[in-house]
Amino acid sequence: MLAYLVLAGLTNSAIYALVGIGIVLIFKATGTINFAQGDVLMVAGYVAYMLHVALHLSYPVAVLGALAAGFAIGMLSERLAFRPLKSADTISLVLATVGLSFILKGFGRLIWGGLGDYLSFPSLVTDTPIMMGDIIIIPQQLVVIGGATLVIACFAVFFKFTPLGRMMQATADNRRAALLVGIRVDRVHLMAFAVGGALAGAAAVLMAPITLLYPDIGFPLFIKGFAAAVFGGLNSLPGTLLGAVAIGLIESLAGGYLGSGFLDVSAFLVIMAVLLVRPRGLLGSAALRRA
Amino acid sequence: MRQRLQLITGAILLMAGTIGTAPPAQAADVPGVTDTEITIGSFGPLAGPGYLYGRLAMNGVQAVFDTVNAAGGVNGRKLTLVREDDRCEPAGAIAAVRKLIFDDKVFAIDGGGCSNAAAAVRADVEQAGVPWIVFAAVHDALTVPTAPNIFSPALTATIESKAQVVFAQQQGAKRIAVISMRDSWGRSRYDPLMAALKTAGITPVADEEMSPDANDATAQVLHLKAANPDAVIVILYPKPAAVFLRDAAKFAFKPMTIGQSGIGDPAAFEEQVGVPGATANFNTIAMVKVTPDDPAVAHWRDAVTKLYPNDRLSTFNMFGIGSAEVLVEALRRSGRDLTREKFIAEMNHLTKFETDVYGGPITCTPTDHRCNKSPVWLKKDPGGAIHVVAITTVD
Amino acid sequence: MKRLHLPGPASCGAAVLVLFAVLPLVANPYFLFIGNQLCIYVILSVGLNLLVGYAGQLAFAQAALFGIGAYAAGLAQVRLGLPLIVAIPGGLVVATVIGLAMALPALRLSGHYLALATLAFAQFTNWVFQHWDSVTFGGGGFRVPPPPRPAFLSAGLQSYYIAFVCAALVTLAASRLVCSRIGRAMIAVRDGEVAAESLGVHLLGTKSIAFGLSAACAGIAGGLQTLMLGFVSPESFDLTQMVLQQAMIVVGGLGSIAGSVIGAAVLMGLQEGLRAFQSAQEIAFGGLLLGVVVLAPGGIAGFMARRAAGWREQYLWGRKPPLPANPAP
Repeated sequence: MLAYLVLAGLTNSAIYALVGIGIVLIFKATGTINFAQGDVLMVAGYVAYMLHVALHLSYPVAVLGALAAGFAIGMLSERLAFRPLKSADTISLVLATVGLSFILKGFGRLIWGGLGDYLSFPSLVTDTPIMMGDIIIIPQQLVVIGGATLVIACFAVFFKFTPLGRMMQATADNRRAALLVGIRVDRVHLMAFAVGGALAGAAAVLMAPITLLYPDIGFPLFIKGFAAAVFGGLNSLPGTLLGAVAIGLIESLAGGYLGSGFLDVSAFLVIMAVLLVRPRGLLGSAALRRA
Repeated sequence: MRQRLQLITGAILLMAGTIGTAPPAQAADVPGVTDTEITIGSFGPLAGPGYLYGRLAMNGVQAVFDTVNAAGGVNGRKLTLVREDDRCEPAGAIAAVRKLIFDDKVFAIDGGGCSNAAAAVRADVEQAGVPWIVFAAVHDALTVPTAPNIFSPALTATIESKAQVVFAQQQGAKRIAVISMRDSWGRSRYDPLMAALKTAGITPVADEEMSPDANDATAQVLHLKAANPDAVIVILYPKPAAVFLRDAAKFAFKPMTIGQSGIGDPAAFEEQVGVPGATANFNTIAMVKVTPDDPAVAHWRDAVTKLYPNDRLSTFNMFGIGSAEVLVEALRRSGRDLTREKFIAEMNHLTKFETDVYGGPITCTPTDHRCNKSPVWLKKDPGGAIHVVAITTVD
Repeated sequence: MKRLHLPGPASCGAAVLVLFAVLPLVANPYFLFIGNQLCIYVILSVGLNLLVGYAGQLAFAQAALFGIGAYAAGLAQVRLGLPLIVAIPGGLVVATVIGLAMALPALRLSGHYLALATLAFAQFTNWVFQHWDSVTFGGGGFRVPPPPRPAFLSAGLQSYYIAFVCAALVTLAASRLVCSRIGRAMIAVRDGEVAAESLGVHLLGTKSIAFGLSAACAGIAGGLQTLMLGFVSPESFDLTQMVLQQAMIVVGGLGSIAGSVIGAAVLMGLQEGLRAFQSAQEIAFGGLLLGVVVLAPGGIAGFMARRAAGWREQYLWGRKPPLPANPAP
């Protein structure tokens, strides 16, 4: 039983990690939490659906479409909800992205909501369960876990080795210094939102076969992704991964051993407990006390 | 100081003006009825996850109204639908219903999608005496005890839950397990189900819970499998139900599964589950006897897509279509000289009225306003056709 | 810049008070209900602004505490048979105690970590409402029978006037509070914890008071909501409700009591006024929220402070001076 629960938990962890990375990427570069991240995912998912299922274009085209849609919406988000608010307080920035979330959800519901209650998206490979030793899995689960790992690895490389990635790190560390060194900070912010959006698109295609597509998929995913990100320490990519794994496993194990009624709430209980002891999350750095 | 005084004086004058021009007492006309028009109100979620039971159902009502209006209306009057959003929660529903009754001044209401929301407004609607035809909410509090002006052509929670138990027994199941959502929608069905099981002397061998957004049901499947049931009663929305059946297939757990009208379209559901053959043993209640692709409702498919080009005909539209057909029939029978009392009297005497969509004929009596007691059981062969397995009648 | 000549917040407030005291006598039940809901939102908004706008604590638990107050007041009447006059204060007390209990661990947290912790608390509270059947009746909610009332007053009017009086008292008390030592201590904590401590402000005490006061407001509001609806159920107190409350204070103005009242009225107006948009309501709501936040930083109170000659706001949450967007050539 333990093995099954762990595998199930890890699949969920992969889903949360995919959302969490997008949130952390944008936060690292801009200092904002994008409450609309889940809804960008939703719209990108529907775009993929329309391309692949409705228009019968090939799967790779649908994936590219989702990435492009996510990228575009990300850029739009930065222009509408972030750039005009550069120097505002945290809660105003939060509400701006919340407004964006409602707008995206409303459009999603109006355009695609009447197609059906939950739309199914075909898996990358077959749907039939396969045996791996003693354990039976659905192939898409492996795709999600593999995909999430790949995406995280790519981003680790991105931040360490590419110029844009290093510029994002620099901007996150110290904006003034980045400006002094000649980094075009507003460009970095735009790219952060855009890449975060594209990431949401990739996440959508990976998870849609498991989660199904519906206009309200965004916010619950965002909450878990946000929890994973903050839990791991908001400025750390490995932290997000750790946080996502923790939340996925806690939920699955609590559901299995304590009872299905506890599944939904267990992660939040643990989060509250951990934050009591480690106020900066699992891997977060010590706080700079700004006077 | 002077400014303050000025402001207060201004406020008092404004008030006096408002009171002075307050509308006179309501004339003796029938609200919502003019020579050329009848205004019907509807409330339910227009946004948010409940929109399936609100906006989509209202789209169905609008399709019926448009068809009727194109054919000349009802006794020479056109039908107009006014929609109000209830945000799927009690405060929103009370605001929506009061707006419909006191501001929009509708003749009757055809609506109600969310359980707690609809139950919370029963007192208001009953007190105002406005006829209300419930189109999607199944909460028992709407019809029990019977309110003189509230009618439900939608199956009620008790009727469906009893039917689930009867069906399980008829199919020979001895060990019965339950998996349910515990939010307001789930509870409205879960409580009567537990009561029905108790009356039948059955103790569930397992009682699992799932949340509407869950993407995994491994824990629930493992617990249920360990309890070895013959049948599992499923009180879930299509998404968690699909996740459940998919994960059950993973573990080669294939009991008879018994759904309800929340999963009204077996073909769509088979697609949602995704794993071939996983729904082979799945039986569900359809509040409507046809599935959207059935040729019998081709004209409704056209009507809905003409009005709403982005939509495909769905069971949710059909909830609205059925309720609207009942409403229109009662309006017709009330004649040109339309009053709320006449309308209610006609509803009370509606006997074996056939609609295009409901599983059985609609019959209301003065003492029982649960007008639909014929849940239709559907089952789909994997990759094949949909059959009607049974029609249970619950008293 | 052209400045309108308007009286200050206090004078406007007095006029509004008089207006709202008398209008309900001629309103139809729909408007009466809206007015009642507005009074409750004002209490929530003022409470939340004390915590977020004045004390600078980014907390997301207000909707859950609202629910705790509502459930406590409702259950006191239904399970314990207590009269309204005991039940509503009871709701207040329970919510305040839980709010304070939450404050203690929250003292070490700030920013996004505090947001997450309070969000987790809110989710946990909702779970308890849904699952603790033996006490809360679970996901299906429960009815609360109407309390006794004098014969000349309809149930709607009674509920309205009780809420109205509470809203007026809370607003007045809060306006006084923010000018007092405690108020200024909260603002000092918001603007710089280290500096505040060095000036002798007791961090623990001040934050606790802020949490406690906002919880108390949520508790009263909860009891009043139960009275108005006659029904208590978990879905009224979820994150959607939390977003609505945060929107009220941001749109109204963080760090302004008048702003809290205005924000509550505007959001209420939006919720009802956007009905005309039907299915596009979400888009309109999101657009308006985004628009106000972008175009009127500092909210409506901030806007009034800049444009209206007599409108003074002392404690609006100030903005950081903007950094240049690009490096100088």
